[in-house]
Amino acid sequence: MPLLDIQNLSVAFQTRSGVFSAVTDIHLTLDKGEVLGVVGESGSGKSVTMLAMMGLLPWNAQVTADRFSFDDQDMLSMPEKARRRLTGNDIAMIFQEPTTSLNPSFTIGFQIIEALKIHEGGSRRQRRERAIELLDKVGIPAPAKRLGDYPHQLSGGMNQRVMIAMAIACNPRLLIADEPTTALDVTIQAQILDLLLELQQERGMAMILITHDMGVVAEAAERVAVMYAGQLVETGTAGDVFHHPRHPYTGALLNALPERHPGQGRLPTIPGVVPGIEDRPQGCLFNPRCPHVQEDCRQTRPALESDHSTGSSHDVFKKVRCYHPLVAQEQGEVAP
Amino acid sequence: MLTFLLRKLALLVPTFLGVTIITFALVHLIPGDPVAIMAGERGIDPERHAQLLHELGLDRPIWQQYFDFLWRLLHGDLGRSLVTHNSVFDEFLALFPATLELSICAMVFALVLGIPLGVLAGVKRGSIIDHTVMGTALTGYSMPIFWWGLLLIIFFSGVLGWTPVSGRLSSMFWIETPTGFMLIDTLLSKEPGAFVDAIRHLILPSIVLGTIPLAVIARMTRSSILEVLGEDYIRTARAKGLAPFRVIAVHALRNAMIPVTTVIGLQVGVLFAGAILTETIFSWPGVGKWLIDSVSRRDYPSLQGGILLIATLVMLVNLTVDLLYGLINPRIRHNR
Ligand SMILES: Nc1ncnc2c1ncn2[C@@H]1O[C@H](COP(=O)(O)OP(=O)(O)OP(=O)(O)O)[C@@H](O)[C@H]1O
Ligand SMILES: [Mg+2]
Repeated sequence: MPLLDIQNLSVAFQTRSGVFSAVTDIHLTLDKGEVLGVVGESGSGKSVTMLAMMGLLPWNAQVTADRFSFDDQDMLSMPEKARRRLTGNDIAMIFQEPTTSLNPSFTIGFQIIEALKIHEGGSRRQRRERAIELLDKVGIPAPAKRLGDYPHQLSGGMNQRVMIAMAIACNPRLLIADEPTTALDVTIQAQILDLLLELQQERGMAMILITHDMGVVAEAAERVAVMYAGQLVETGTAGDVFHHPRHPYTGALLNALPERHPGQGRLPTIPGVVPGIEDRPQGCLFNPRCPHVQEDCRQTRPALESDHSTGSSHDVFKKVRCYHPLVAQEQGEVAP
Repeated sequence: MLTFLLRKLALLVPTFLGVTIITFALVHLIPGDPVAIMAGERGIDPERHAQLLHELGLDRPIWQQYFDFLWRLLHGDLGRSLVTHNSVFDEFLALFPATLELSICAMVFALVLGIPLGVLAGVKRGSIIDHTVMGTALTGYSMPIFWWGLLLIIFFSGVLGWTPVSGRLSSMFWIETPTGFMLIDTLLSKEPGAFVDAIRHLILPSIVLGTIPLAVIARMTRSSILEVLGEDYIRTARAKGLAPFRVIAVHALRNAMIPVTTVIGLQVGVLFAGAILTETIFSWPGVGKWLIDSVSRRDYPSLQGGILLIATLVMLVNLTVDLLYGLINPRIRHNR
């Protein structure tokens, strides 16, 4: 039984000019201790999907799913209060902007201890000691002294470490990291990523790592989900997706990796932009930008279907949403 | 922090000088002179009139009178009332507790209602509650104090007979007033029923005087809460699994109160201005009523001294608010 099991999840936003579905038809499963990388361009619905899992979407969002369970508990029918016992405790999340994600009016000590207080109990002293331990764990020097600091007194990287300490405070079984390094200096990015992976290994937590960076996914994730315009277009093991991409969008993303074009000045790009939630094309959502587009792609939208034609065929997670998936020779174009 | 305080204090000096000039000019711009007013309907013969003006020093050039006023002010002398011949400062001091008590009650009324209503309207944005609160606030804000006071008196005192019409205490009570604060003095007097009577006298004037600050505070709190609720750290607080009440009352409110404090400070000036009218309507024996009486008697020293003292108080309150602002906003505390 997987830790997280999501079947056919959709999120729609009620706006003044109507109802828009931001995310549709999401299928994800995640086992204990597994790392899933989620990639896709800006606006593809990665954050919306994760916020739906956390129950953190704004009031104008409607979440529906055929199945949405964590640890075999149904998250959708669960009462608010029971759900809050899970969030921050069994499922935790860290965000893109560490500096604005911490409350400027409270010390970091207060903010870490607060999480411990509501989920774990214990005495005031125990909580304090635990907070110091956590700060030490995430690599903050002189942790006891930092407890009284306010977020604006720390750098962005340090703040992200604080966010991580807060997220792992109650030993979550699933950690969602939504672009945890995007807002940081390049030199700090690798450190934070290493820290996350180290903690993940050590505690055996499952992790969903969202990023724009295919390279990061290749390094960190066991399985990969590629999103485009609010849909999953391809899922599979990291090895399969990287070496045998089936969806043209995945192929194009990989083709844009600098590592694949050593010595070349300009990198290939994907022409066009992701359609917004109001201007999605008929048929396959990627068809206006797809180099392999054919007539049927413009008519009806393909479904996400299991695909065993290439790669390790035993992988039940290998799925693609395409009428004309890339075949070996086209994949060869993008492989290194 | 210390340099911040010193800079603020240094700024008080030119402000104070400006206030003396304006006060002096305004007071002397009122047509008529004290001698003519005292003489009343019967009139006075011009020779005697000139002689009396000379005795009061009012026949000298206006700038000389100003410097005379300033000179005595620097020696801590606000002069004597032209009518009662008492020291202006002593008269002010005797009446000020009544005004202060009324203003404090009005402010408490405004805060106790304004902040929760503003929060409620902000949290339930767009709902009936929001529209009702904001509509009422706008009405309250635009209601002339005289009209509003009379309406309340007619309804609660006239029709329902719940509250007294004027004064601070019914004449059946005769108590010592060591502090000048009726609520405290009645408690000290141990006179049965006096305390309740004092409260009943305070209710209507407090509501009338507190209505404008209430409206301003509610509106400000609402917009401030709305802004804060969109912040990343609110999402973080929810991601910890905190109950909605705690998210709002702890994480949102602390930050939302920062701009509201400034507004509260500014309302103190509004409050003193409103006290003048309110005291007149309710025959409240305070500084406001005394100032109005001084205007009709052209009692220049009382007017100048009274306005100057009030202006100084307002400046000091604003200074205190500036300092408080630093206390609740850690970012400012550390930058200064
Ligand atoms: N509260 C909302 N109301 C209406 N539409 C929304 C709301 N929140 C997000 N959206 C829309 O949902 C879509 C998906 O946004 P999302 O933030 O999930 O993208 P993303 O993949 O996380 O992008 P990025 O990489 O930039 O973080 C966007 O088109 C966005 O405009
Ligand atoms: Mg995002």
